Amino acid sequence: MERSPDTLRVRQGGPLGVLRGIRVVTAREIGAYFDSLIAYVFAAVFLLLAHYVFMNGFFLSSVLEMGEYFQALPFLLALFIPAITMRSWAEERSHGTFEIVMTLPLRSFEVVLGKYAAALVFYLAVLLGSLPIVIMLLCLGSPDLGLIATSYLGAALLGALFLALGLFVSGLTREQIVALVLGVFACALLVLSGHEKVVEVLDGLAPTWQVGTWLYESVSVLPHYESFCRGVVSLADVVYFALTSAFFLVMNEVTLKLARH
Amino acid sequence: MITVDAVTKKFGSLVAVNSVSFALQKDEIVGFVGPNGAGKSTLLKILATYLYPTAGGVSLDGIDAIREPLEARRRIGYLPGDTPLYHEMRTDRYLAFVAQAHGCSGSALQERLAWVTEACGLADALRKRIKECSTGYRKRIGLAGALIHDPPVILLDEPTHGLDPLQVVDFRKLLRKLRPGRTILLSSHIISEVAQLADRLLLIHNGHLLADGPVGQLCQKENLGESDVEGLFLSLVRRHEAQKKGGNHGA
Repeated sequence: MERSPDTLRVRQGGPLGVLRGIRVVTAREIGAYFDSLIAYVFAAVFLLLAHYVFMNGFFLSSVLEMGEYFQALPFLLALFIPAITMRSWAEERSHGTFEIVMTLPLRSFEVVLGKYAAALVFYLAVLLGSLPIVIMLLCLGSPDLGLIATSYLGAALLGALFLALGLFVSGLTREQIVALVLGVFACALLVLSGHEKVVEVLDGLAPTWQVGTWLYESVSVLPHYESFCRGVVSLADVVYFALTSAFFLVMNEVTLKLARH
Repeated sequence: MITVDAVTKKFGSLVAVNSVSFALQKDEIVGFVGPNGAGKSTLLKILATYLYPTAGGVSLDGIDAIREPLEARRRIGYLPGDTPLYHEMRTDRYLAFVAQAHGCSGSALQERLAWVTEACGLADALRKRIKECSTGYRKRIGLAGALIHDPPVILLDEPTHGLDPLQVVDFRKLLRKLRPGRTILLSSHIISEVAQLADRLLLIHNGHLLADGPVGQLCQKENLGESDVEGLFLSLVRRHEAQKKGGNHGA
C-alpha cells in the first residue's frame, strides 16, 4: 500500500476549478433534497396551496389570467422557502458534516454557491409545477403569455432572494427549527412591509414619520416584485434582486469563515 | 511532513492549545494522547485547516496551511472525532463526492474507490445508505473518505472509538500497511491503545505538550517500565500540575 509520490499530480489533473467545486456541491445537495421527505412534503403542500389560490380566484373572476396566483405567491414563499433552506447549514452543523465539507479543498464561496444553486434548482422545479395552470389557460383561450412570463421571472427572482436570505439565516444556527422561524420572520418582514394595509396602519401610527411608506419604499420586496406582475421588466428591479441576493450570499460566506475562528 | 510551530488556540479566555510545537516525518505513525478536553481535537482541527490558530504556524508537506489552506487540504485525509457523515447518502456516492471534491474523476475515481473499498473492507456497505450501516462500518466509511484521495498526511481523531476488538485489530493492521510514504497522526484518550500502534507519542494536557518521543524512550526517562504508558502519563501530568501550582503560589 505504499503511496505513489506522484499520486496527487495524476489524480488532480490540474487545479480544482471554481465551477467544478460548485458543481460537486450542487450535485450532492440536489441528491440530498430528493432524498429528504421534507422536500416532497414542501413541494406537495406548496403546489396544493398555490393551485387552490389560483382556482379560487379563477372561478370567481372567470378571467384567463394568473394575477391572484402571483399576488399570493410572496406570502406563500415567505412561509415555504425557509423550509427549503433551514437544513442547508443548520443540519451540517448539528450532524458535524460541516467539519467534513469545510476541510475539503473547496473555497467557502464554492460551497455557498453550490448549496444556493441546488436550492434554486429545487425551487424552480417546484415553481414549474404550476405550469399545468398555464396549459389549462391556453386550452381555454388566449391568456397574456408575456404577462405570465414576466410574472414567472419575478417569482423566480423573489424565490432566489428568499433562498439567499434563508441560507444566510441557516448559517447562523445549528437548530433547523430556529433557522425556519428566523427565516420565516425575515421573509415575512420583507413581504408584509409592502402590504398596503400594513403601510396604512404604520403611517397612521406616526403620520409625521411615515414609517409605513419608508418601509414600503426602502425595505419591502413587494414594489420590485409587483412590477414584474404588471408585465414590466425593469433593470432597476432585476439589479435590486441580484444585489440583495448577492449580499445575503456574501454574508453567508462571512459567517462561515467567522465560525472557524 | 508536518511542522507545528508554537500554535496557540484561544476560545475567549480559555486557552485550548498553548504554544505547542512539534515536527512529524514521513513513514511515521504518531499517537496524540491526553484526557478528554486536553486540546487534541482542537489541534487536529487546526492541522486539518478547519480552525484558524490564534497564534503560531502549521506547515503540511511544505505548504503553509494557514496561508494556503486549499493546497494543504489536498494533502490531508481527515477523520473528525464523531465520524460525521451524510447519513442519507449511499456509501459509494458519499465516497465519490469526497473524491470529486478532491478533483478526482473518471477512471481515477473508480480506481481509488476500488482501492478504499478493499483497504477498508467496505464491499458489503458500498450500495447501502450510510444510516443503514453499523457503527463499525460508519467508522470505516469515514476512514475511506479520508483515504480516497491518497493523501500523504492522515489525521484521525479517536479513530477506534466505537469499534469492537476485532475491528480495532483490523484497523491497526490497515494503518501499519498505510505507513509507507505517509505521516499518520491519530488521537485517543486511551493511551495504551495508541501506544500499541504508534512509533512515537505526543502527550498533551490542558493544552500543553508534556512529552514527545518514542514510548520506550519516554518511559525510560521517567524511570518506568518500557511499556508503562499510563504510569508515564500520570507522572507527567502530576509534575505539570505541581509546576502550575508552584507557579501560581509564586505569583
